[in-house]
Amino acid sequence: MFRHNALRYAVLVLLASAALFQAFTAEYFGLEILTEILILAMLVLALDIVAGFGGMVSLCHGALMGVGAYAYALLSTTAGIAPPVAMAGAVALTGAIAWAIGAICSRSHGIYFIMATLAFGQMAYSYVFEAPIFGGDDGLGGIARLDLSFIGIDLNDSRSFALFCLAVLGAIYGASVLILRSGLGRSLTGVMHNEQRMRALGLTVWRVKADVFGLSGMIAGLAGVLAAQHIMYISPGLLSWTVSGEALVVVILGGLGTLVGPLVGAAAFVVLKHELSAVTTYWHLVVGVLLIAVVMSRANGIFGWIEARWGARIERRLTDATRKPEAKEVLGDA
Amino acid sequence: MAHDLGFWTLQALNALQLSMLLFLLSIGLTVIFGLMHFVNLAHGSLYALGAYFAASLAAVGGYWMGFFLAPVAVAGVGILLYSGLIKRMRKSGPMAQVLVTFGLIFVLLDLTRIVWGDLALAIDVPALLSGRLTFLGVEYPTYRLFIIVLGLAIFAALAFVLGRTQIGAMIRAGVDNDAMAACLGINVERLFFIVFCVGCMLAGLSGAVAAPLLSVTPDMGLQILIPTLIVIVIGGLGSLRGAIAGSLIYGFVQTFGAVLAPQLSSVLIYALLATVLVIKPVGLFPAKG
Repeated sequence: MFRHNALRYAVLVLLASAALFQAFTAEYFGLEILTEILILAMLVLALDIVAGFGGMVSLCHGALMGVGAYAYALLSTTAGIAPPVAMAGAVALTGAIAWAIGAICSRSHGIYFIMATLAFGQMAYSYVFEAPIFGGDDGLGGIARLDLSFIGIDLNDSRSFALFCLAVLGAIYGASVLILRSGLGRSLTGVMHNEQRMRALGLTVWRVKADVFGLSGMIAGLAGVLAAQHIMYISPGLLSWTVSGEALVVVILGGLGTLVGPLVGAAAFVVLKHELSAVTTYWHLVVGVLLIAVVMSRANGIFGWIEARWGARIERRLTDATRKPEAKEVLGDA
Repeated sequence: MAHDLGFWTLQALNALQLSMLLFLLSIGLTVIFGLMHFVNLAHGSLYALGAYFAASLAAVGGYWMGFFLAPVAVAGVGILLYSGLIKRMRKSGPMAQVLVTFGLIFVLLDLTRIVWGDLALAIDVPALLSGRLTFLGVEYPTYRLFIIVLGLAIFAALAFVLGRTQIGAMIRAGVDNDAMAACLGINVERLFFIVFCVGCMLAGLSGAVAAPLLSVTPDMGLQILIPTLIVIVIGGLGSLRGAIAGSLIYGFVQTFGAVLAPQLSSVLIYALLATVLVIKPVGLFPAKG
């Protein structure tokens, strides 16, 4: 089960204050990067819920994000539905699709699960690429942002939009913690550690997997809606499997199954990408070497490494002597 | 859609040619997985390397030099990868292996860009295989027929080696139960190494063979990776029969799908993969029951 410890709280506060500082001081380019980080963070949170706590390593979350983006674009432009309703519709649709994928793939494990989700993701990609209603290779443009002018916020301003995304990310983080602490989340972790036993205990395993996958899909869909609103233009590239692969890399670099780690990973990844691509066009090389180094070091990502090294020490210093120190998190080898 | 018989023969040959190319690539990947339980996503990058080596060697000493030496060069890269990374990753879980080889894709992609640049390279078909042959009443490019024949020959050779020779029996024993095979005195570790090298060599060979057909670009490895994975997952991991069946299914569905239902062609193969995984989660012909 997911628990906060002192280190996790500290990193969360640090991240939130860094984001707020950036949101209020940065110029246009800095705000764009901040928004990119926040949206990627939503996607990797969704992925960490299924991969880190359910052992379901999904390669279709990029596609789910794309489904959310396209659903919002079509509902708000072609169908002419008001943005708030279109957002809700897009999130619900993505959740429903994710639930179905989760239900169908629930029997597969390991590499087969990865391949099955990849297949569904690629199916969505090919369909969007070829069906004329989605604008094919050209994508869709002219997507409107949410109108919050009735409370005096203009989301077409990049500062307001970055703050809006930060608020949404905060809400998503809270929701993720609630999901993981609920009975559903505990069952999910039980299934990851021993599916046979959970089945023997009378749990309907496929329902648990499908439900969590659906919830995670809703988060990915919301990330997609905001990505569409952010860039105001979408193309099929959003659904490509490399987006899912990149999200997985971020989760791993950050720390699988820690929720906080992937947030750190998202920030590090986007900043690294922008800094490196300014210096060299070969930034994939650096990311690749970094990824190999992190996995070979057997640490659970950047955050997992920090937690293993200093977590216990900080924990001892910060908690009362009366309270028992937190048991070390058991991280399943997904 | 009033097409004559010749049209369908042509499409069947196209499908067969695509299948054989995929077979060359997927057999290495599937046997490596079956024997070593190692998921090598960088297999596609080795294929791209094979194409680049072939293009460079062909510029120096003609097509055949590339054809014969590129697989050897790729096997050399494979040896480096094996001793540097893969040997150490053998004991870790599939997740770690997927990620390390995913990182390897990034690294190899940018290394090819640094060495050969971003522009597409092209090699010419050798004089011997240029032109067309009349085959079953249709004119077909000789080079594509050559790929079909090569694929079938390699299939036959592998079927013979795996099914009829002692080393084949040892490999099958290793796939079936590596601990037991080791107890019977088989040097499983060395067997792994040989199989890995042969798999890399076949990846290099398919790159060299594909180079004159497709243009040689840095992302060709990424493009071929997904079809290859689909082939081995449909066919079932670890078996020769699965690799050939998966390749044929992919080649024919893709080619005839494009002719019969162009709107749905690319969705079709993924739908098929999803169906197979739902009905038989371990593929059609897995190495282990």
